[in-house]
Amino acid sequence: MTTPLVPADITPVFVRLKLSLLRNGLRQSGGRRAAYIASAVVVLLLGALQLLGLIALRGHAHAESLVVLLIAVLALGWAVMPLFFPGGDETLDPTRLVMLPLRPRPLVRALLAASLVGIGPLFTLCLLAGSVIAVAHGGAAYAVGVVALCLALLVCVALARTVAAANIRLLTSRKGRDLAVLSGLVIAIGAQLVNFGAQRLGSSGLAQLDPVADVLRWVPPASAIGAVDSVSEGSYGVAVAQLALSVAALVLLLWVWSRHLTQLMTAPDGSTLQTAEPVARGRAGSGGLARLLPAGRTGTVMERSLRYVWRDPKTKAAWVTSLAIGLIVPVFNALQGTGSIYFACFAAGMLGIQMYNQFGQDTSAFWMVATTISSARDAYDELRARALALLVITLPYATFVTVVTTAMLGDWPRLPEVLGLSFALLGAMLATGAWTSARFPYSIPQEGYKNVAPGQTSIAWISIFGGMVASALLCAPVIAATITLNVIEGGDRWTWVLLPLGAVYGAALTWSGLRLAAPRTAARLPEILSAVSKG
Amino acid sequence: MTSAVRVEGLWKRFGQQIAVAGIDLELPAGKFIGLVGPNGAGKTTTLSMVTGLLRPDQGIVEVGGHDVWRDPVAVKARIGVLPEGLRLFERLSGRELLGYSGRLRGLPGAEVDKRASQLLDVLDLAGAQHKLVVDYSTGMRKKIGLAAALLHNPEVLFLDEPFEGVDPVSAQTIRRVLERYTASGATVVFSSHVMELVESLCDWVAVMAAGRIRAHGTLAEVRGDAPSLQEAFLELVGAGGRDAGSDLDWLGGGAR
Repeated sequence: MTTPLVPADITPVFVRLKLSLLRNGLRQSGGRRAAYIASAVVVLLLGALQLLGLIALRGHAHAESLVVLLIAVLALGWAVMPLFFPGGDETLDPTRLVMLPLRPRPLVRALLAASLVGIGPLFTLCLLAGSVIAVAHGGAAYAVGVVALCLALLVCVALARTVAAANIRLLTSRKGRDLAVLSGLVIAIGAQLVNFGAQRLGSSGLAQLDPVADVLRWVPPASAIGAVDSVSEGSYGVAVAQLALSVAALVLLLWVWSRHLTQLMTAPDGSTLQTAEPVARGRAGSGGLARLLPAGRTGTVMERSLRYVWRDPKTKAAWVTSLAIGLIVPVFNALQGTGSIYFACFAAGMLGIQMYNQFGQDTSAFWMVATTISSARDAYDELRARALALLVITLPYATFVTVVTTAMLGDWPRLPEVLGLSFALLGAMLATGAWTSARFPYSIPQEGYKNVAPGQTSIAWISIFGGMVASALLCAPVIAATITLNVIEGGDRWTWVLLPLGAVYGAALTWSGLRLAAPRTAARLPEILSAVSKG
Repeated sequence: MTSAVRVEGLWKRFGQQIAVAGIDLELPAGKFIGLVGPNGAGKTTTLSMVTGLLRPDQGIVEVGGHDVWRDPVAVKARIGVLPEGLRLFERLSGRELLGYSGRLRGLPGAEVDKRASQLLDVLDLAGAQHKLVVDYSTGMRKKIGLAAALLHNPEVLFLDEPFEGVDPVSAQTIRRVLERYTASGATVVFSSHVMELVESLCDWVAVMAAGRIRAHGTLAEVRGDAPSLQEAFLELVGAGGRDAGSDLDWLGGGAR
């Protein structure tokens, strides 16, 4: 019997593997290399800038609050990153290592070391270094700072790895890919909120952060940095407790991670198991939604459209974007006191966009629609049902946003005219949307972040921007009436007329748009199908 | 013999490439018809044009005596389609998809639900009826697509590669349903490049290669003197006798 090979420490192997993967990834294409270098430069610049910023903060009364909050947000970022960017790091995908004879403990050590290589950890290091400098006063504090820095970095990385390992089944499944489509959105909306929060802070000072920071300074990994501050203030006992919390968190994370790793490496892969467990949702026939909808094609199409808003990740992402921006723009502007009540029309405009490229949203499944449309009447029913499904959400939402904006600005006399304008705009968007859906359809790729298939970008631009300009022009009569009533003497008393006027005008526009679009749709079914089947 | 489908002078070009180069064909009613040919022969293009999903450059297509392009109302009610390479509304569950498809065709809701239940049972999909189609396997997708195509009881059923990537159990289920369907006088037109399958299923065959019909008729007529449809087919598409005997003589067991 040969003596079993005593495995050398695998940590350097994994670090080298990570480095070669990085290098080889860059070798693949010039574009990728440029993108990587550019992002590295940007990250380093950002890192340097915030380092300078944090150093400048040194001595500020609320420096600790800000720093602790920053670290907490950073840790949150590390926790959610693997959910949104699955498969980003091949060295860390344990399912690739299943065939190798590896023990959990050395593996965890090696993977942890490998995860420390990269732009993300570098940026984190800059931020942590800046934080330590911002709050450390005295030699002891700096000594603790070095420990705290290492500890916080390890907690961040271990957190990301644990979350990834715990959710790897989810991340490699269809649901995980669906989630990834929504990630860009969460970041965009999150950025808006951060931006807004920063503006508030800028106006009312850092003192606002103190209550939050008082909690966060006890939450790892922020507690490690909290310990640096505690040492600076001479509270050594508190510092020890805070450091101990971070150490405990690290140990716990590593333990959980190691358990998940063992389970992943020894249990069969989810893809080989039949996932056909019967879903015991005793829903016979059609659900509650259908009972509220009209019968025939109208109800059927409305039901399908509304289901897709919730179930299809691309459609959902588009809707959430529209709903969020439609609310954020008027409300945040009103909050900052710079808003005009007319911004409320934004909601109607943003939601009206959902009517555009209706058939592209179907993808090549449009053939199921095409085989059931045999006349302009069928096409009209189909388009009208889609418009109605949109209105079910849009009409109450646009009204809600308008009322909220009005309430915030306290400008109640203007409510009718803004509502009238909103409805007219919505009608115009539905009309142009129906027409461009028939005339300029394009494919929406189902994977990744792109919303237009390659080669169809110009069609998409014509469709959306042409449609928006046309919508604005179509609304001109209502806009003109609004201006007139606001300018002429005694016109204020008649502005309420704009509400019914706008509503009726919008409805008429929608009706004409659908009427115009229907025969075009019916006549171009094969052309639409081939245009939307490229994704 | 009445014809279920009549095609005359059908052409389709994609840029420089001619996909379908003038097809004339009459498919008899009440038969199990196989459209066979190698990959790229133009089978999918032909079926797409016959079912109204792709506009031909030239030519006439009639189903049950009605022109597909001039009289879509009559044709679309009479045909069922299972295309290849096109998606379904995959974010609906199997049952929802059937409900959607049947109601779009104007069937009363209660009738749709009844037929859907029966089809789901017969096609072994009852256990997965509340699962989203996006999570279905290839065989399950073909079966739910077939159910959607059968729901309105069409006269003619067009299936593009219904057995491609389907496991033997699902294939047998699909086969059973189709045989029962044609036994009642309906017509099935399906494309395939698996000759054994076509030989065992079809009464009538059309062989396609490079955008043209090379032979058509009953199975016996097309097979002629050849021992099997496979041999006859290879002869027809000009791939017969291309034996790999002389090349690759180093390949296999024996001296390495």
